[in-house]
Amino acid sequence: MDTKKRKEQFRTMFQRVIDPLGYKFSPDEELVDFLLEQEVMLEKERGSPFCPCQGLTGERKHDMQLVCPCIPFHREHFDAMKRCWCGLYVHKDVDDPDELVQISKKEFEESKSKG
Amino acid sequence: MVPWFFATNENDLDDGEMKAVSMEGNKILLVRQAGGFYAISNKCPHMDCPLSKGILDEYAIQCPCHDWRFDIRSGEFLDAGEIKVPAYETKVTDGKVYINMER
Amino acid sequence: MKKVVMYTLSTCPWCMRAKKFFREKDIPFEYIDYDKADEETRKSILEDCRSHGEEMSFPFVKIGEDVVVGYNPQKYSSLLDL
Repeated sequence: MDTKKRKEQFRTMFQRVIDPLGYKFSPDEELVDFLLEQEVMLEKERGSPFCPCQGLTGERKHDMQLVCPCIPFHREHFDAMKRCWCGLYVHKDVDDPDELVQISKKEFEESKSKG
Repeated sequence: MVPWFFATNENDLDDGEMKAVSMEGNKILLVRQAGGFYAISNKCPHMDCPLSKGILDEYAIQCPCHDWRFDIRSGEFLDAGEIKVPAYETKVTDGKVYINMER
Repeated sequence: MKKVVMYTLSTCPWCMRAKKFFREKDIPFEYIDYDKADEETRKSILEDCRSHGEEMSFPFVKIGEDVVVGYNPQKYSSLLDL
């Protein structure tokens, strides 16, 4: 299957998943297109559309939680950033994704424990 | 008319067993667990993989593709309840299992 | 000048932006693409990330003794006194 077609399928399938979670595709079309293209390539090479910005370890339990959309497994962390790690998805109320910053997992945990 | 459709004979499934059935153009996963019959859509809402090829653990079915787990009673995705596979009512009458296709 | 070392992924646009940032500021840096590295290197990167209490999120940027995970030009600048 060609890349363009598969990208469109990902858009349709993943939209169904992210919508009830309060997310949408980023308004940054160029970024979205680039990331989906990487996911098509990752699916061809590694069998699944893994997150292009997080590393696989080869341990199934770990890696399966990085298959896009991985929001359900990192919900609190992503909600705090109003975006997923790679920025493919943002909260529905976000108009300007460039205003959002990546907060590392450790920073997020620390800010949580400080309240 | 209540849309009950015949799915299988009660004796065709042992406890802890499941099978895919086609009902009115829908692919349904029928599971017998702890004496009850449960019916949910057989398509994983993530990437449409057939749940019937997955692993059943008590009331949870794990998708064979990416290990997403759903409650066979409600259809709820265990890691985010907002995501659901359609769940259907079942009944057993005279040794026959029926699924209510109206949701 | 503090030494800049990055762990990156070849598929990650934020890693590319981080590299671009340092290039534009004329700051020398080293990087390793985790997804293209050999088994042994991957293992040591994984251990390094986890020893800092982080998951496998990229880019993982070391500036001297400090670590910044993610694309964060403000933090890079402040750690390098730019």
